[in-house]
Amino acid sequence: MIPLTFANVGKKISIKKIKGKDETKRFLGSLGFVEGGEITIVSDNGGNLIVNVKNTRVAISREMANKIIVA
Amino acid sequence: MSIKIALAGNPNSGKTTLFNALTGSNQFVGNWPGVTVEKKEGKIKGHSSKNDEVVLVDLPGIYSLSPYTLEEVVSRNFLLDERPDAIINIIDGSNLERNLYLTTQLVELGIPVVVAVNMMDIVRKSGDKLDTNKLSKELGCEVTEISALKGEGIDKLIEEAIRAAKSGKRMVAQHSFDGSVEHALAHIEEAVLHDMPEYKQRFLAIKLFERDDKVIERLNLDSHILSHIEEDINNCENELDDDSESIITSERYTYIASIIGNCYTKRNKGKLTVTDKIDKVVTNRWLALPIFAIVMVIVYYISVTTVGTWATDWANDGLFGDGWHLFGIGSSDYDDAVDKYAEDEIFLPEIESTVRGANEAGITGADELLAAIKDKDFGAFEEAYGSYGEELAVKENGFFDLTSMLPLDEDGEFTDMPDPADYGVWVPGIPVLVENGLTAINCADWLQGLILEGIVGGVGAVLGFVPQMLVLFIFLAFLEACGYMARIAFIMDRIFRKFGLSGKSFIPMLIGSGCGVPGVMASRTIENERDRRMTIMTTTFIPCGAKLPIIALIAAALFDGTWWVAPSAYFLGIAAIIISGIMLKKTKIFAGDPAPFVMELPAYHLPTVGNILRSMWERGWSFIKRAGTIILLSSIIIWAGSCFGVVDGVFTFSADMQLEDSILGTIGNAICWIFSPLGFGNIKATIATIMGLVAKEEVVGVFGVLDFEGMTRLAGYAFLAFNLLCAPCFAAIGAIRREMNSPKWTAFAIAYQCVFAYAVSLMIYQIGSVFAGSLNIIGLIFAIAVAVFIIYMLFKPYKAADKLTIKTKVKA
Repeated sequence: MIPLTFANVGKKISIKKIKGKDETKRFLGSLGFVEGGEITIVSDNGGNLIVNVKNTRVAISREMANKIIVA
Repeated sequence: MSIKIALAGNPNSGKTTLFNALTGSNQFVGNWPGVTVEKKEGKIKGHSSKNDEVVLVDLPGIYSLSPYTLEEVVSRNFLLDERPDAIINIIDGSNLERNLYLTTQLVELGIPVVVAVNMMDIVRKSGDKLDTNKLSKELGCEVTEISALKGEGIDKLIEEAIRAAKSGKRMVAQHSFDGSVEHALAHIEEAVLHDMPEYKQRFLAIKLFERDDKVIERLNLDSHILSHIEEDINNCENELDDDSESIITSERYTYIASIIGNCYTKRNKGKLTVTDKIDKVVTNRWLALPIFAIVMVIVYYISVTTVGTWATDWANDGLFGDGWHLFGIGSSDYDDAVDKYAEDEIFLPEIESTVRGANEAGITGADELLAAIKDKDFGAFEEAYGSYGEELAVKENGFFDLTSMLPLDEDGEFTDMPDPADYGVWVPGIPVLVENGLTAINCADWLQGLILEGIVGGVGAVLGFVPQMLVLFIFLAFLEACGYMARIAFIMDRIFRKFGLSGKSFIPMLIGSGCGVPGVMASRTIENERDRRMTIMTTTFIPCGAKLPIIALIAAALFDGTWWVAPSAYFLGIAAIIISGIMLKKTKIFAGDPAPFVMELPAYHLPTVGNILRSMWERGWSFIKRAGTIILLSSIIIWAGSCFGVVDGVFTFSADMQLEDSILGTIGNAICWIFSPLGFGNIKATIATIMGLVAKEEVVGVFGVLDFEGMTRLAGYAFLAFNLLCAPCFAAIGAIRREMNSPKWTAFAIAYQCVFAYAVSLMIYQIGSVFAGSLNIIGLIFAIAVAVFIIYMLFKPYKAADKLTIKTKVKA
């Protein structure tokens, strides 16, 4: 169980938990970030990530990535 | 009866492309989430005239019906309040799972839904298969395949949508949630919603279950009813060990996964797409910024210097000047003739030696004349002589006077010059044509003055820069349409965050370099109100297309077209944004971290030529329209203001009125003291600055190149800085007012911009004067005080409110 920020680029990982305020959590949910879902980090730009989630690319900042716990 | 059909779907799923195809309108289609910020209505082609009117409403893209950004609120409110007769839900076939998330919510609204699966050609190409019949059965609504870009399947789609709208059959959502969720929903319907029509109940029950503030507010519920349903929600949350919103979200995705398993067959899995490969390079930790810098330098270099200058020269000297050679036919013959003429008549030994003598005597401008003779450049010689010829004649009692040596007529024009019209295909410029026409019909002198100097001159000065703007607009449209724009926001986020703005603020600024109005409007994609306000306030610091002429004018007139003037203007704009960002963050109203960055990155694709040209034309046309309306009007006012005036106590009209005597001059004279600490307290510069509020292009209209006489370079640059940073034109102020949605905030934004511009300009002029050796003690003291204040604000620690939020974050 590690924050998404520490996960490896290119490997398939699954979301264990999403922390944070309701509003951002809801928005992440509508973009396809749900607990149990599988994601892949496409690119790492100094902590800001591009993540492949449900076949789309979503860019998220480091603060946001820290709230997503993966394994 | 007229039918209203809404077009809803995820951002960037092709709604606007479909809208254009169905209504025949010409909206620009960008490739970044949030291109459409306002709903647009259009009548459907071929259906409106035949029977009833069918109106299609293009909504901004949304991911769900729980609004996050302002544009999502627009869409949701439209669907809930205006209840269209049917919804066309366009979904991206290559990304079914995420797109269906919105579909599961739309079908709960009780409005007939038709699902249009877009980009099926891409799906088929990748070898995947989608069974639309099965999908239709699962969802309980019609599903059709379309390709909005190629116009395939859209006739069938619209027929289905009209049929669904006319049938009035309420949509019933086919999916159900987990038993305990359904139990809670039933209780909520029972307790609160039982007297509402049945088709509205499901959606509202789910929203109440999710504790949606806006729905609770809308229903105006009693506190005891709320606490009653709160009990149901809590029970369900405890049972499933999650909060209610997450429960619904994952229930929806579970349901979607079950449908997709039935009707979608995927062939290749886990392979890197082209887009991923490109992203690996352009968003790479080390390469991202250099690549971005190179792209931007290319864009502005080409549009401001090379192609842009060529286009502007043609427009100013050809179209709105004497004329030009069609396709360049005959221009080289003409150039040869001019060279020969100069060789025979001008570049003679005695003239060269006179100029050399004048240069040794240190007469201003002689060096330029000498250089022109050495280069055998007649154009440069003519220009230098135009500027400094009098100087040579007056000083030294005509010892260096060239007048008698040069072949000049009584007006001081060169005689026997080769006529460009004799060579090749010569097209005369508009002013020449108009003048000939007016002379032919014996037009009165004053009217000729009004038309030639007032209208053609004023409007022409502005229109002359349109080709250059079009070049810039092509580049911006390409960046938007290919998908790189969204990456720029991502790349810049890391940097922008350091001074309190989100990476999303960069898109408004980039678009603002074309025109501030769409730039300010593009700020809507920013979720956080504080970030959005700050972006609106600072976006117009970036030089827009209309400010390019001012930069070009100052660079040409005072800096001999030195290369660094134009880039320095952009740099000044960026520095103003950064400094303002940091300073404003230190104030109470803006304190706090920018909202975390989350943005979908679309797949790259090569934009169509039509789409790019459409965007270029749309933006260019609004400039041209302005030239025909507001600029036309103000050109006439300026002309009248400069030709009417009081001479020797009598109110008179004269085409050769001295500026000081004219109405315009009197006004400028009364207020020019405001700008004298900035070095340009003269009448012309003052009037130009005021006219800049009407439209920035007008600054150029007021000034001619030669009118900068007497202005130092330093004052010129201070003038440039002030005009770039101060309040934008009325159109942009209007946009700021709309987006701020508050007169107080609008006033604050405009006041801030003006004060900031004044401060920067003051520092440039007063501190610069020290180095120029003409310091003014009082001015310098003020300038240093301003500088100290800004530096203090930059290094002052952040407000306590900020620290608090950091603390809470650690706790969470």
